[in-house]
Amino acid sequence: MLEVKHLSTSFFTDDGEVKAVRDVTFDLFPGETLGIVGESGCGKSVTAMSVLGLVQRPGKIVGGQILFKDRDLTKLNSEELRQIRGRDIAMIFQDPLSSLNPVLRVGFQIDEAMFAHDKIAKEDVPERGVNLLKQVRVPDAQRRVKDYPHQFSGGMRQRAMIAMGLSNRPELLIADEPTTALDVTVQAQILELLRDLNQEMGTSIILITHNLGVVAGLCKRVVVMYAGEIVEEGPVEQIFESPQHPYTWSLLRSLPRVDEKRHERLKSIEGLPPDLIAPPPGCKFNPRCPFRIEKCFSEDPPLEMVGTAQQAKCWVTMKRAYAEMNAATITDTRPGAASGVRPPAELLQVVADLRTLEEPEVLETLAENPQLLEQMVSEEPAALEQLVADHPAVAEKLVTEETAAAVDGAAEDEKSE
Amino acid sequence: MATTITAPPTTVTEYAGGTLAREQVSLWRDGWRRLRRNKLALAAVVYLGLLVVVAVIAFFWTPYKPNAIGTCDTYAVPSGAHPFGCDELGRDSLSRLMVGTQVSLAEGVGTAIIVLVVGVTVGLIAGYFRGTVDAVISLIINIFYGIPALLVALVLVVVLGQGLLNIMIAISATIWMDMARLVRGQTLSLREREFIEAARASGAKSGKILFGHIFPNAMGPIIVQATFVIPIAILTGAFLSFLGLGVPPPQADWGGMASEGVAAIRYVTHIVTFPSIALSVTLLAFNFFGDGLRDAFDPRQKR
Amino acid sequence: MTRGTLIYIGQRVLLIVVTLLVVSFGVFAAVHSLPGNAFISEHLHGAALASVLHQYGLDQPIPIQYWNFLKGAIHGDLGNSFVIQGEAITPLVLRELSVSMELGGAALIITVGLGMLFGVIAAMRQNTWVDYLLTTIAVIGYSVPSFVLATLGILLFALALPDWTFSLFGTAIGYPLRWQGTYGDIVQLSLPAIALGFYTSGQVTRITRAAMLDVVQQDYIRTARAKGLKSRVVTIRHALRNAMVPVTSILGPLVVSIIAGSVIIENIFGIPGLGKEFVRSITSHDYNVTVGVFTIYTLLIGVANLGVDLLYTVIDPRIRY
Repeated sequence: MLEVKHLSTSFFTDDGEVKAVRDVTFDLFPGETLGIVGESGCGKSVTAMSVLGLVQRPGKIVGGQILFKDRDLTKLNSEELRQIRGRDIAMIFQDPLSSLNPVLRVGFQIDEAMFAHDKIAKEDVPERGVNLLKQVRVPDAQRRVKDYPHQFSGGMRQRAMIAMGLSNRPELLIADEPTTALDVTVQAQILELLRDLNQEMGTSIILITHNLGVVAGLCKRVVVMYAGEIVEEGPVEQIFESPQHPYTWSLLRSLPRVDEKRHERLKSIEGLPPDLIAPPPGCKFNPRCPFRIEKCFSEDPPLEMVGTAQQAKCWVTMKRAYAEMNAATITDTRPGAASGVRPPAELLQVVADLRTLEEPEVLETLAENPQLLEQMVSEEPAALEQLVADHPAVAEKLVTEETAAAVDGAAEDEKSE
Repeated sequence: MATTITAPPTTVTEYAGGTLAREQVSLWRDGWRRLRRNKLALAAVVYLGLLVVVAVIAFFWTPYKPNAIGTCDTYAVPSGAHPFGCDELGRDSLSRLMVGTQVSLAEGVGTAIIVLVVGVTVGLIAGYFRGTVDAVISLIINIFYGIPALLVALVLVVVLGQGLLNIMIAISATIWMDMARLVRGQTLSLREREFIEAARASGAKSGKILFGHIFPNAMGPIIVQATFVIPIAILTGAFLSFLGLGVPPPQADWGGMASEGVAAIRYVTHIVTFPSIALSVTLLAFNFFGDGLRDAFDPRQKR
Repeated sequence: MTRGTLIYIGQRVLLIVVTLLVVSFGVFAAVHSLPGNAFISEHLHGAALASVLHQYGLDQPIPIQYWNFLKGAIHGDLGNSFVIQGEAITPLVLRELSVSMELGGAALIITVGLGMLFGVIAAMRQNTWVDYLLTTIAVIGYSVPSFVLATLGILLFALALPDWTFSLFGTAIGYPLRWQGTYGDIVQLSLPAIALGFYTSGQVTRITRAAMLDVVQQDYIRTARAKGLKSRVVTIRHALRNAMVPVTSILGPLVVSIIAGSVIIENIFGIPGLGKEFVRSITSHDYNVTVGVFTIYTLLIGVANLGVDLLYTVIDPRIRY
């Protein structure tokens, strides 16, 4: 029903082109529920806005196709797009307080969505407005259509938003973080409501969220986005069972789990999402990835099949990571922790900086950061040799049995490669 | 700052004051940089500078004596000898226009100073002492907001008499409230800050805290507000003159000249034209300058 | 109307009454303490003067005079004019008020209409030449004195139409320099109303533009577009409706500005309104009229401010007093 092909959307700011969505491809079948997950700023909302043609200046769709029932939405003019918005594809937004107009009555805001299109007969609109509110379980709907948004509670506002979205019986409902601003019990009710709508009315749903738990409760299939790209895609159970992209793996680890006996400290993903104006070379997740290899710093991996109906965009994949690390569980998610691979530029820069310093200062720095020397030994022996040439005293620090052995080993590795 | 506080030793205050002073310095420097980039505001500054020069020159030299009657024919049109023509009494319009600059600038700046003194004092007192004092002052401010401004000025000019100082007082009475309200708000928020608490704890007197600590920290918005007082005051002054209640004749001023020009409009148009242009451009310049100053120094307004 | 609203209105009415008392006493005391009055300037002497002064109660101390004024004012009697002897002020002032209200009302419509139109267009075309042009017009609007604009208007009429009238579709249309005393004459009203309204429209443009720029960033505008509403509907029904809240906040000061401007405009165009009467009374020492007009204007501003506060609750349902 919906096919997004190689979609790219950019924002042209004073600082440069922010590539918010790059080369995103996914599809959606009638009646299906798809989750799009990722941290804020990963491009999931921009993807949804692009589908509806709601991207505002300085943003622009710069490439790709969005096929909705075989019509390319990117080629439509603004009036044709307007007729699809709210009629065939409806969208509901994160914060129901700021997303409802404070000076207009709730009932009016629902009715006007129907008046804007000719799908519902004009004379049926007021009655349908009330029925919709009843359908989304707003109590005393007859009276509450005359209320203003501020007179509704948070959960009721979101129900009203959903009623508004459903008013024209759309074929596709895009829900952008529909539960984020709500408290947990209300979250569950809203999700249940969406699930019922999908099952009873056959409305396709795209659920956009940063919360994998919400996806698990509603969706059949999930797309994981990072830095504007799809990094993993597949059936929900499969991805929860065996995520293959380290980012998905980290996201799942950050979920609090009820079934866990021992309360582990919640692990958040170390580091920040990359700068979308000048992203790092290679895989965009490399600065934060615990399992990176050298290749990740130079070449961008393609999105490849990693299992039945599951795709991931990774050189390593979790399967290989577990195997090579010879471990059943991996706990340390710090950048490069598991593989020990430092970004080449970073370590070389450290060595270059050290070479410019006076010898006592160099020794002091090395004494303060004991792991630095180890990293140099294992990753950049050539640079370390240069440092030793400049500052012979550093060699003394190396002459402990362990490190000396490590240097020898590393040097041999170097030769053998 | 250290001298304003006597005993006991006040390292905390001095430290806080010092940091704040540095913040202020960089704030001013940034502000000036932003102001310099605003071409419209810069053009306004240049124009206003020229206006001040003209006003100063007019003290020592004008082409003719501004009040000398019969330097040429009644309603003489502009010519080489009288570039801006002459008025009903044959007085040289250029000379009168130059002298009128002094009146407008004096009205504008003088009123701004009065508003500054009254508004800041009243606002500081209301904001600092709060309670009953604040309630009474706020009531007075509200009453002043509820009366027609120009009419108050007219009555005051009649009651006080038509001198330049009286006119400035009369205009001030109609526009001091905005300044007082602004300073009151600033004071209410500043008085809760740590460095004020510290000064109070160290036994500084209220007056010292108000004028030594709170006032300097509210400077930015106060100066911007004062800048906007100037064009309003000049405009009100011109209105008064236009209605015949401005500076007493034969003293030349733009509003009065425009009024004479309107009276003569069926015969000649140059008399009303030049003072009208002078007034309009000057008010425009002050408004552009004020806008530039606000954008540069009042971060809350930044877009 | 809720209990809270009624209490709020009560408080506001109380403030209006306090303001009226303070202001009328202030003005009364100020003008009556001035040396000389209308009668002295008419060269009345001795017994005749004493008799007239007694007739007007001017031989009594000022607090007593004010008390008498107040007693009359409560019953709607503002006393008699000194100059137009025996003329009762209340009907005079009410007649003139209707003229001033017509002019001021027209100016207010122009101010709000033009200002909001310009503000919306400028915001919709932000940082284009249209925006720069309209914001510059706005600054010119509140920089150019209304009498300059009025004069310019008169001059333009005079240049285009030396005999002040021209024919349009067979109907004589012209601009009389002197008010003809007919109400509802659009042509006659147009120039003074535009000259008066243009000054304040600059402030409305400015506020509207800033408010619109703020509002179009809001999430509910995105919702409105996602519903498939036409962009015109989004702008007017959703954006402008919200942008009117800050615009409403300057309506009170706007009324004060228009009253001040009308004093000038009525004098230029010879319109027999309150503003012209006020200047006449104060320059001819007709102090009872001065106090009367001042009181009426103060009442007008108080009522306007109260109206604006109630208008808020209509425009923004979140506001409740």
